[in-house]
Amino acid sequence: MTTRQTDPARFEVVKNALYAAAEEMKIVLAKTAYSPLLKVAGDYSCGIFDTQGNMVAQGPDLPIHLGSMPDAVRAVVRAFPDVSPGDVFIHNDPYDGGSHLPDVNVVAPAFHAGRLLGFGCVRAHWPDIGSATPGSYGAVTEIYGEGLRLPPIRLYRDGRPDPGIEAIIFANVRTPTERLGDLRAQVAANWRAAQRMAELATKYGTDTLLQIMQEVLDYSETMMRAALRALPDGTAEFTDIFDGDGVISPGETEDETFRVKLRITKAGDTIVADFAGSDPAVAGPMNAPLTVTASGVFCALKMIADPKSLIPPNSGCWRPVTVTAPPGSVVNAQHPSPVVYANHEMSHRVADMVMAALFAITPRTVMAGSQGTSAVITFGGTDYRTGERFVSYESVKGGFGARPTKDGINAVASTVSNMSNTPIEILEMSFPLRVEEYSLVPDSGGAGTFRGGLGVRRVWRVLERQSHAAVCCERTVTPPFGLAGGNPGAPANLELIAPNGNARKLTSKGGFLAPAGSLVVVEAPGSGGYGPPANRDKVALSEDLLDGYVTLAEARRLYGFDAG
Amino acid sequence: MAWRIGIDIGGTFTDVALVDEATGRLGIAKVLTTPADFGQGVIDGITRGLHENAIDAPDVALLSHATTVVTNALLEKKGARAGFVATRGFRDILELRRSSRPDLYDLFQDGPGVLVPRRHRFEITERIDAQGQVVTALAEDELPPLIAAIKAAGLQTVAVSFLFSFLNDAHERRVGEALRAALPDVGVFLSCEVLPEIREFERASTTAVCAYVGPLLAGYLDRLSQATAALGLPALHVMGSSGGVFDIAEGLRMPAMAVESGPAAGVIAASLAGRQLDRPNLISFDMGGTTAKASVIVGGEVAVTAEYEVGGAANAKRWMHGTGHPIRVPVIDLAEVSAGGGSIAWVDPGGALKVGPHSAGAAPGPAAYGAGGTRPTVTDADVILGHLDRDALLGGALQIDLPAAERALATVADPFGLSVPDIAARIVEVVNSNMAQALRIVSVERGLDPQEFSLIAFGGAGPVHAVALAEELQIPEVIIPPAPGAFSALGLVATDLKRDYARTLYADLGKVEAGRVADAFAAMEAAGTAMLEAAQVPTERRVLLRQADVRYRRQAYELTLPVAEGAVTRATLDALAAAFHARHEQTYGHANPAEAVQLVNLRLTAVGKLPDLTLAQRHEPGSERLRTREVWFPAAGFVATPVHWRNGLRPGSVLQGPAVIEAFDSTTVVLPGWQARIDEMGYIRLTRT
Repeated sequence: MTTRQTDPARFEVVKNALYAAAEEMKIVLAKTAYSPLLKVAGDYSCGIFDTQGNMVAQGPDLPIHLGSMPDAVRAVVRAFPDVSPGDVFIHNDPYDGGSHLPDVNVVAPAFHAGRLLGFGCVRAHWPDIGSATPGSYGAVTEIYGEGLRLPPIRLYRDGRPDPGIEAIIFANVRTPTERLGDLRAQVAANWRAAQRMAELATKYGTDTLLQIMQEVLDYSETMMRAALRALPDGTAEFTDIFDGDGVISPGETEDETFRVKLRITKAGDTIVADFAGSDPAVAGPMNAPLTVTASGVFCALKMIADPKSLIPPNSGCWRPVTVTAPPGSVVNAQHPSPVVYANHEMSHRVADMVMAALFAITPRTVMAGSQGTSAVITFGGTDYRTGERFVSYESVKGGFGARPTKDGINAVASTVSNMSNTPIEILEMSFPLRVEEYSLVPDSGGAGTFRGGLGVRRVWRVLERQSHAAVCCERTVTPPFGLAGGNPGAPANLELIAPNGNARKLTSKGGFLAPAGSLVVVEAPGSGGYGPPANRDKVALSEDLLDGYVTLAEARRLYGFDAG
Repeated sequence: MAWRIGIDIGGTFTDVALVDEATGRLGIAKVLTTPADFGQGVIDGITRGLHENAIDAPDVALLSHATTVVTNALLEKKGARAGFVATRGFRDILELRRSSRPDLYDLFQDGPGVLVPRRHRFEITERIDAQGQVVTALAEDELPPLIAAIKAAGLQTVAVSFLFSFLNDAHERRVGEALRAALPDVGVFLSCEVLPEIREFERASTTAVCAYVGPLLAGYLDRLSQATAALGLPALHVMGSSGGVFDIAEGLRMPAMAVESGPAAGVIAASLAGRQLDRPNLISFDMGGTTAKASVIVGGEVAVTAEYEVGGAANAKRWMHGTGHPIRVPVIDLAEVSAGGGSIAWVDPGGALKVGPHSAGAAPGPAAYGAGGTRPTVTDADVILGHLDRDALLGGALQIDLPAAERALATVADPFGLSVPDIAARIVEVVNSNMAQALRIVSVERGLDPQEFSLIAFGGAGPVHAVALAEELQIPEVIIPPAPGAFSALGLVATDLKRDYARTLYADLGKVEAGRVADAFAAMEAAGTAMLEAAQVPTERRVLLRQADVRYRRQAYELTLPVAEGAVTRATLDALAAAFHARHEQTYGHANPAEAVQLVNLRLTAVGKLPDLTLAQRHEPGSERLRTREVWFPAAGFVATPVHWRNGLRPGSVLQGPAVIEAFDSTTVVLPGWQARIDEMGYIRLTRT
């Protein structure tokens, strides 16, 4: 049953060592980074790559980067045939291996005795990459407006940074001191990876290490094919409606919705996800490079085919999976379409769509619609306490979809995302904001035999001086779907409440000015339920009532609850 | 004569270690653990230990105990009916946690449990800001309805945790005072008393853990101390997770200190051995039936972590938080992997050989034990390879079923087309690599070079695998201590009286007034001294250790560094900053001396020193025994190998590998290229030849 050349024990040892090295990169990054987004919220991924740029090992990071990280390293491999020890490369171009401009890739090669072993890569979300809007989340119509765009360039030579390139970068981003701390952390994490790979080559020999790196890819492929074979064959379609792109085009009165269509064909040990029939590119930054769309597909397939999480995530997993979309459609962006929102919003929604489509083929291994959004909020301006500029970036987590045998999960990152919140006490010490509420939203979990997870309400007061804020959210228009007769979860809700108490709804995406003393409200969506509400266990429903997850009125209306 | 008694409750056995302070003479009693009432096994074990060693109760100077009550209460969800009181708008923070999920791809994972259900979470109007100023005054008129609600819910305990109470605790203390006055039967835990540190969720979670386990711990310790008092024994002490012992009153003030009380004991015993052998740098390795634990001792100091999760899935991947309840109390930094003698080998669908995490446990146990086990375990592989005796273990008390072990191993040998001994060798190699991972986490990952350490191995299976692990990590020396099978119980009596205090002082280290730092230390030192006073520790045995958590201003994770004794001056703080830059460079490979250093927490450890013990393994003249059996070694294959009886080996004896040294409680395997020397105190010292 095994065709591998390497001894099974040696293979297991080296494979574990590669994954341990990827995890160690993450520890180095979190412990040394400066921005709350990286140090406490974890918006980054680390990986070990072969000499061709295939991802051999991903740390326990963000599934959103599954599809697109290898492209980031391949871009460096293409651009620099002359890689040398002590090199560090940097880039963020969504049209050359990147995902969106704030995700900055730092790549460093590993060598042993003059031979290239592979690469480490850290993709980290910088809270600001320039552009007109603090946080770089403005609703612009070309990538040129989205911030500083870096093609693959050599940032370090012989272990030392190029001061000219660093000067260009730090002249173009807000809060450059914080960005420099983050960049140094990314480099330190990469060097740790290079060191670990060199140690493995020393111990086992370079040829053996390179051989095993290929075998690790083959191993994941074999495992994934076996997992796919275990699922029924079939073809299924699902179309969903998206909130919009943040841009009100001439002739429109509000941000128009658009459609994405998915057709999945599962045959034997392969799967094809085709997005033909999806709407063409939109004006605002909701256009997804194909690798971003693919990340959403890969993440959902991993959860569906490998629900016990046994297959090491790497490029080998995706050899049996084909993702296609018409160039120029909203799911296969072409230059110079803007892309910043799509990175997490499109991949979140696509992951949920894969669940919905595959419900028709394998209904017991999918979940109902999750929050479907990263519910991003940024604030920027000047801190009245210090006179220093600041940029804050947070993501609010909602419901994780109900499963065929279990309720959804309240207030936790779903599918492609796994960011943490920023502790309120850290946030308020760092930025001139005060959080006035952080709570579960009753009745936001879709009713069902298995109830959806609850969404979350977070409210910020802007202190002393006005703030340039921006939001980026999906699911304000269409709610997360239920499955098998379950109800949808509550949609997202965004509001700005002026100091005089006047409230107005915010559109799902784009910047706005938040006056001093105003409140900004983000309610992240709940998730859909699974199975008819009428079949919900009576005890479970009474517990929900006691805990206020479901109110009495809604229990009567949706579940036919009878207090008598 | 003064004896110290340590009692360690394990999954199968309750170990009682008795040590004579003056001579280091050891007595061990093993009795079956009594899960229905752990105290029963404890009393049985003590009684037997006293009897077998002819010790009178008045000769016992210290009685020390590692308890699993707190951990079990959390794992089995059998804690108190606890409530939680938060700042208005924030009662859900216990459930909202940090919003990441523990497993990325597990579609059917469960959400993390919450110790306090939402129906028992309350809010009160009040708010303090990030500068410690009151933004919204405490609503006194909301206290009576809050008290009524707690009463109506029939709660046994309440945790109170308000935002920024670590900067200004006035509101928390006022609520605490009102609740304690109105509800004398309800245990009230305030976050400012339990853990005055930044990060609202972790602080609230630690406070809630205390409220949840407090009553159970109190009841257990009360019953046990009554029983030990009835035997005429001295006051019962409990080991905390940071490795010191404290008295019962102290434990009940901060019950979260008593989590992971058992595993800490083994590391403490290892550090005692290190002092005795003049080995300040040790990696301790404890391998039992289901798990292996590694920890590191550097320069004689046990490594302690400030962050921990209790009641979650045990995992060597410490970074994957989210399965348990975080507590911010010092816990001895252990890396734990699911690898033990009972770990089961299997082949995954991708054709990889795996060992663990499933274990055959005590029932049915390894196939070789002949109790009905059919799955291949590490112990079966060890038996096939001759690392363990193929006829009997435990000094003949446990007969080995060799054909059963062969049958079990064949189930994984066949898919690879390998022979039974070949697959056994690979199983050992895989399990060793899993355990090496734990050793690497505590050493290499921290920038510590294993070549500068000795490996001290204990637990029933530790000495079997230790030398192979030392080869893998290039550790130059392996130490097998006396009584490795009951070593953790020894640790309980080898430790000091200890209590950790912490206080947040958020300031620029370069600018903060030295007087503020001095005042904060003085307050903690007063509390520590009062604790030592109450425990009747003589002045000359008291030690107060200062530490500080510092980082670059914009970082989120601190490094903990020692702070000099004596008056706190500007020079003290500058020295601290310089030490931080150096440690940052050492840990992460870069540092920025030009950048401001942020002071975050000040820590104080109050220690009541106990006189050091000398541990020794007794030589029993006349018990010499030499046999030979075929033992498998890497590269050499099966080799006729001498097998010695440990207690019969005279101090000073030197054995060349390959060799096997057997004892009642464990077996030591000496690889070719290594030699074993029995030192004056009976430790086995293994080095490369």
